[in-house]
Amino acid sequence: MSHIDLKTAPRREDRLGACIAHGGTICEMAGAKGKKSCLQNDGERAFTQGSICLLLPALAMLNTLPDNVVLQHSAVGCGSCTHSQNANVRFGSAARQGRAKDGVWLSTAMNETDVITGGEEKLEQAIIEADRRYQPFSITVVSGCVPGIIGDDIDGVVQRIQPEVKARLLPVHCEGFKTKIWATAYDAVYHGIGRTLLRGGKQEETADGLSPFKGLERLPSTVNLMNVSSMGQVDELELERLLRTLTLDVNVFPVFAHPESMVKATQASLSISTCPTHDDYFLSYLEERFGVPALIQHMPIGIENTGLWLRDVAARFGIEQQAEQIIAQEESELRAALAEFRPLFEGKKVFISAGEFRALATARLLEEIGFTVVGIRSFHHDHFAEVEYRKLAASSREDYVIDIANVQPFEEANLLRRLKPDLFLGHANGNGTAAKLGIPTHVIYHTGLAYIGYKGVYEIARRLHRQLKNPVYNRKLSENVRLPYRDEWYGANPFTYINQGGAA
Amino acid sequence: MSGHFIERARYTCAQGGAAATVTALPGGIPILHSPSGCAGNFAWTQNGGAGLQVGGYCGTLAIPSSSIQEHDVVFGGDKRLREQIENTLKVMDGGIYAVLTSCVTEVIGDDIKSVVADFREQGVPIIGAETGGFKGNSYLGYDLVLQALFRDFLERDIEKKKKRVNLWGVIPNYDPFWRGNLEEVRRLLEKFGLEVNSFFLADDTLDGIRQAGAASLNIVVSQAYGVGAAKLFEELHGTPYLSLPLPVGASASESFLRAVGKAAGVSAKRTNAVIGAEKKRYYRYLEPLTDCYNDLDLQRYAVVVGDANYATSLTRSLADDLGWLPELTVCTDPLKDEEQERIAGQLQRLESNYPTKLVFETDGSQIIGHLREQWPATGNGKYQNDFGPAFVLGSSLDRELALEIGAPHLSVSFPVANRAVLDRGYTGFRGGLRLIEDLVGVIVAGR
Repeated sequence: MSHIDLKTAPRREDRLGACIAHGGTICEMAGAKGKKSCLQNDGERAFTQGSICLLLPALAMLNTLPDNVVLQHSAVGCGSCTHSQNANVRFGSAARQGRAKDGVWLSTAMNETDVITGGEEKLEQAIIEADRRYQPFSITVVSGCVPGIIGDDIDGVVQRIQPEVKARLLPVHCEGFKTKIWATAYDAVYHGIGRTLLRGGKQEETADGLSPFKGLERLPSTVNLMNVSSMGQVDELELERLLRTLTLDVNVFPVFAHPESMVKATQASLSISTCPTHDDYFLSYLEERFGVPALIQHMPIGIENTGLWLRDVAARFGIEQQAEQIIAQEESELRAALAEFRPLFEGKKVFISAGEFRALATARLLEEIGFTVVGIRSFHHDHFAEVEYRKLAASSREDYVIDIANVQPFEEANLLRRLKPDLFLGHANGNGTAAKLGIPTHVIYHTGLAYIGYKGVYEIARRLHRQLKNPVYNRKLSENVRLPYRDEWYGANPFTYINQGGAA
Repeated sequence: MSGHFIERARYTCAQGGAAATVTALPGGIPILHSPSGCAGNFAWTQNGGAGLQVGGYCGTLAIPSSSIQEHDVVFGGDKRLREQIENTLKVMDGGIYAVLTSCVTEVIGDDIKSVVADFREQGVPIIGAETGGFKGNSYLGYDLVLQALFRDFLERDIEKKKKRVNLWGVIPNYDPFWRGNLEEVRRLLEKFGLEVNSFFLADDTLDGIRQAGAASLNIVVSQAYGVGAAKLFEELHGTPYLSLPLPVGASASESFLRAVGKAAGVSAKRTNAVIGAEKKRYYRYLEPLTDCYNDLDLQRYAVVVGDANYATSLTRSLADDLGWLPELTVCTDPLKDEEQERIAGQLQRLESNYPTKLVFETDGSQIIGHLREQWPATGNGKYQNDFGPAFVLGSSLDRELALEIGAPHLSVSFPVANRAVLDRGYTGFRGGLRLIEDLVGVIVAGR
């Protein structure tokens, strides 16, 4: 039975043994000092700072879907993060559809009465009214914590109401207290897409093992390029450019893809992930049900990783030779272009903090352009990243710290004061700590900036060069403001508050 | 307005407003008793709506959170909260700590009052507020934090000081112009010789806040936000309050000063002198705009969209200071009937007597419909009295409306996604000048 047949996507703690609380080192994570053991036996912190829940990344995807209304079933605050995601929706729709458009997000704004009497009826009425008012292709019904606790059955509501409305209804479960691995968000969204948009219909087996829906042509040289909400169009265009040089046709899913077009994903002959943390759940489903094989390793960030990613794709189509030529040509041009920036980067120490795969791939990129990695904080850990830790362990001269933490800037502040890096790359809303310590900072993703492929390497280098030429903003800031931690904290072990889970 | 949902709510939940409020206190450390995601949700909300202001001394993802999980939901989160507070005190360097509950911890019935009381008995400067999101929006959260502060942090039974006043009514970050708005009102009150505690500004201290009970008058520059806290303050500390509209622009500021002067026992002479001096400067600065104001024909029809503080106050300034024509005023907060009546009352006293239509509508996409009722769309004939030239003064979510009616637009009320705000404000005489600068600046941007 596929996970998609279940009512909700399983938590990643259960499905992948993912963890969020561990203080280790690159060699340990790469297995050199014995296999890391926090999988399945995650630690807990006795002091924690707030972070996000799966609702935020789920909404970051759902808000981009054209012709879709996001209906949040929760208290009024859940999903207010959309105010910032809406900037991305506006820029993204301007780039892709030629006009900046606000997303449409609604909340049932559950109140005290709803908590006592249940919110299903309100949700039913909200769906009906949203369908009439906005006439969208689809309505994603997203549950937050409150319906999860009081037991509102959003799947039941969707089933009951679907015959009464024109829009396709996609239930998406985002009860934040149920999982600490927010990457479960991607599974929750894909679960909704898989169950609703790619479920019914007869399939036909074709000679090469694919089973698209009946009447849908299968496309031998078309690939699914799986984007992520942290990727801008500029990055998609770079990857499309590279794939086209391999004479492949590219469909981009799921961010900014029209819900009606999702079905085309079943026609392709290969799905290519750009972030294994993001895509495994959906690509497994496409493979199991429709026979669309998947490539799910390497994030095309950095010179080596982009090459590995392209080689994998080429191998599937038997065009390795062609790929080698393209890679050689791209690398030689890129290395020549990077030469002017390298002297400023050489030997400078860098600390990286972000979602696991992005942090690790970016660390490798920074090594490639001359920096020395002195520490990484990954927001969670699961087995997909093991190969990335091994790459970094192999390329590093010295062991360095790995903090598995769902943000937790207090650990970061402690580490940064010890390590004194020359540069910090962090997640959105995650550069403030380093900035207040006077360390030059750069955001590790932004949908308006290039990060991916060969173009991404160059553009990151160009931006870092610019930032390092005058890092005075952070320096002056650090001379005049302080972080909210006690002086004693900086003398303590940064992992004091991690109660390690089960031993190896 | 829909009876079943709110479209693109222009606020977050009570806990989010509460967290922003605590962060804005001197040395304020919020402690969220909630699942892990609430802090991040607020960080991204402010990132997108608060004029690029995220954080502060201890804000956003630095905020301690019990980050309760499923097993806490089953077995209760009290134990986890105690552990979290104990360790927060070891790691975080704060002057005041505030435990703020969430939907989840309230539904499961965690008793934070006794946990917080235990720590307070040990001398920890800590307060707690029940700010579960289903109770209301960020404005309620602001009120609840002030109530907790007044109840559990302020010294009781201290001697009143005649010239001492407290000022509030503007919610940090959910009014992106909060600092500037408070600073200008504070400046005006100081012109009256009053000693002002305003809780959230750089000049405020925790010692000053502890002594807030010495105030002879509380001034709430809102007819909706912080009024509950003002009532509680009066009950606990015996200080009466004045709840007045947010004074945006010259005309409203004059009324504001007269009302405060009367209540605070400022002599008529002094009141007149302060108003006179402020108006003199205001008009001295405005005077040189007059040629261009006429030459460029800068009078506009307007649609004003805002929260309970801004909607009517901006309309008043447009109508009474600038001589603009605010045909439609939309208040986007869900308010109780009596709050709606108070807010509507402000527009019945316009000096210009301009008859604006006020509607309460939470959903931005419905505003065009209200405008069409007020000013039906005209045809394509040769002679058409169109709704124009027009201006949309609202939030960044009202850009689509502005596009639709072909009007320029300025974001003032939350969310303000497309402006950077540090200490700009629109209150008082100075704020009135800022508003004119910003409105006209948008109109002439292509010049």
